[in-house]
Amino acid sequence: MTELFLTVFSAAFFVTIIRTTTPLLLATMGGLVADLSGALNVALEGMMLIGCLTAVIVSVYAPWYVAVGAGLGAGALLGLVMAFFSFRLKADIILVGFAINILAAGGTVFALALATGGDKGTSINLQSKAVPSVDLSFLDAIPGVGPVLTAFLSGHSVLSWIAAFIVFAVWYFLFRTPWGLWLRGVGEYPAAPEAAGIPVNKVRTWSLIVSGALAGLGGAQLAMFNYVGFTRDMTAGRGFIALGAVLLGARHPVGALIAALLFGAFEALAVVMPGLFNEAPAELIRMIPFIVTIAALILFSVRAQRALALRGVK
Amino acid sequence: MSSISGTNKSSRWSAVRKEIGRAGGALLISLIVTFVIVLLTSKDPLGAFEQLLTQLPQKTRTFGYWIDDVAKLTITGLAFSLVFQARQFSMGVQGQVYIGALAATYVALSPLGASWAGIPLGIAAAMLAGAVYGFLPGIAKAKLGANEIVSSLMLNYVAIELCNFLVRTNLPKPQAGVLTTNDFPDSAVFPMLVDKTRIDLGLILAIVAVLVVWFAVYRTSWGLKLRLVGHNARFAEYSGIKSTFIMVSAMTASGALGGLLGSMFVQGQTYGKLTVLFEGNLAFEGILVAIVARSRPLAVPIVALFYGYLRQGAQLMNIRTDVPAEVIGVVTAIIILLVSSSYSLAFLKRLFRRGVATAPTPAAAAGAAK
Repeated sequence: MTELFLTVFSAAFFVTIIRTTTPLLLATMGGLVADLSGALNVALEGMMLIGCLTAVIVSVYAPWYVAVGAGLGAGALLGLVMAFFSFRLKADIILVGFAINILAAGGTVFALALATGGDKGTSINLQSKAVPSVDLSFLDAIPGVGPVLTAFLSGHSVLSWIAAFIVFAVWYFLFRTPWGLWLRGVGEYPAAPEAAGIPVNKVRTWSLIVSGALAGLGGAQLAMFNYVGFTRDMTAGRGFIALGAVLLGARHPVGALIAALLFGAFEALAVVMPGLFNEAPAELIRMIPFIVTIAALILFSVRAQRALALRGVK
Repeated sequence: MSSISGTNKSSRWSAVRKEIGRAGGALLISLIVTFVIVLLTSKDPLGAFEQLLTQLPQKTRTFGYWIDDVAKLTITGLAFSLVFQARQFSMGVQGQVYIGALAATYVALSPLGASWAGIPLGIAAAMLAGAVYGFLPGIAKAKLGANEIVSSLMLNYVAIELCNFLVRTNLPKPQAGVLTTNDFPDSAVFPMLVDKTRIDLGLILAIVAVLVVWFAVYRTSWGLKLRLVGHNARFAEYSGIKSTFIMVSAMTASGALGGLLGSMFVQGQTYGKLTVLFEGNLAFEGILVAIVARSRPLAVPIVALFYGYLRQGAQLMNIRTDVPAEVIGVVTAIIILLVSSSYSLAFLKRLFRRGVATAPTPAAAAGAAK
């Protein structure tokens, strides 16, 4: 047990949490933007997966930042496809989302087999690149706290820092700009912005594009930092956990950040536990985020219902 | 999803023709897209397509793969149809399959499994477990307002991890380290219907399930209420129907079907034991089957016949040519996108002229088939 505590309260474990949280956080921000505009994006999983593969394949031939951009672009494109089918062709957005998930599950394996010449499991024989980590060892020079700061802040992916900035950017956009107000209005009660002359479907289309781009960026982090290379189904439900994190975070960027950190910590635990104990039930630890999400979902639904009842709305 | 069919026979047939036209058009478009992909990537595109489209019925063994797949697709299609009829987007069939399979495995590997009761008790336990697992997101939605899409998706992963955990630790294994249980005793494995194929009792179960679901939806008052709730939950509520009860019961019944599918997997000829991740994402294929069948129980097996043919044809193509089977995911996605949207040829034309998007007329939709 003491070993577990020593591990959990070490700087290395903190760095692991940040690493496991980053893809989840980016996808969560994507889910948040779509959810607030009233378009539940169940395709986060598929968008992440396609983002992963695109980033890996592009990184074989191009520098890492181009590959990250390609992953982001692939996600954005899928968001556009989703918007086109659900708003232009009036398909149900849930079904469109699942179509994209199915396309991603099969399409990535197909494309992987083509890119590797037949390997359907991993991209191990592709020389893909990694996202560099940010080295802040100069902080050592600060007297007293320097080494601690270095241990905690150094060695994170570039994308982790970008993700932290994105949380702030999303918050600023949603609550401090007129477009953020539009977006929240469209999600809250579409008839009112429609009457005010705000193009509801255009707002939703852009939110789905941004949502896809963020999920794709999360995929790039997953396949170019957490793991270097692509494995089939490597997202393993992270897109759906992100949906849960949006709800657990009470549909607010800061809340979503905390929820993503919590889920990231569980994932990090599931990573380190089997190394400490022989019989650690990693499966059961991996289950925790899903159960917490269900609990949070019920909790917030009850609260929302009670709030409605207080306002006298049936 | 659902629609209450009119009494007018000719209008009903024209609606059926329209649906067949739209589905056929979507199939054609998706096959053309797939052919272009194969053309660009394969050394022998025509050979690959020949394997995909013509080779399946040539041998009894491959024919058996097809029919076995059709039986399973039918059950998952029915499970999704039931919840779609009530306009609930519960996506929990996958989790119900794993939970049902676990229940069936515990029965089959117990002393009961070695007796005559192995098959009926296994099926019953699986259906019960699946029903409970379908009931959970239903009751959470009805009583607490929790979004059934998210909760059912989460339950899927919980079931998969639980199955992985129990197979690794608790269930008897032939040797340590393998992620599969002991073979079930013969008395707990579905008997073959056709010698040396995978066609087993599951096919009969699928046919029975189609008839039962059709009867329940179209010939009972529960079914009428179900379709009313799916059509307009508010109207149903005003006319005195307890719409939450109908929703929860539909999700529970759908869960029982999911559990049945789990028992068909592990007790069927294909496995005869529980292996981790045995289901191979088949459960979600029920979305396509249910959407193309417009959630009509009697149309589900027909759609499953076509779609199972494509799936298993893709497996043959995978083994015998250089085209991976996963290309079929493209077909699936395109069909879902097109059939669930209001696409039509006239609409596509208008789109290219950058016209205004309005709902297409029925005549235009029917024209999509050509």
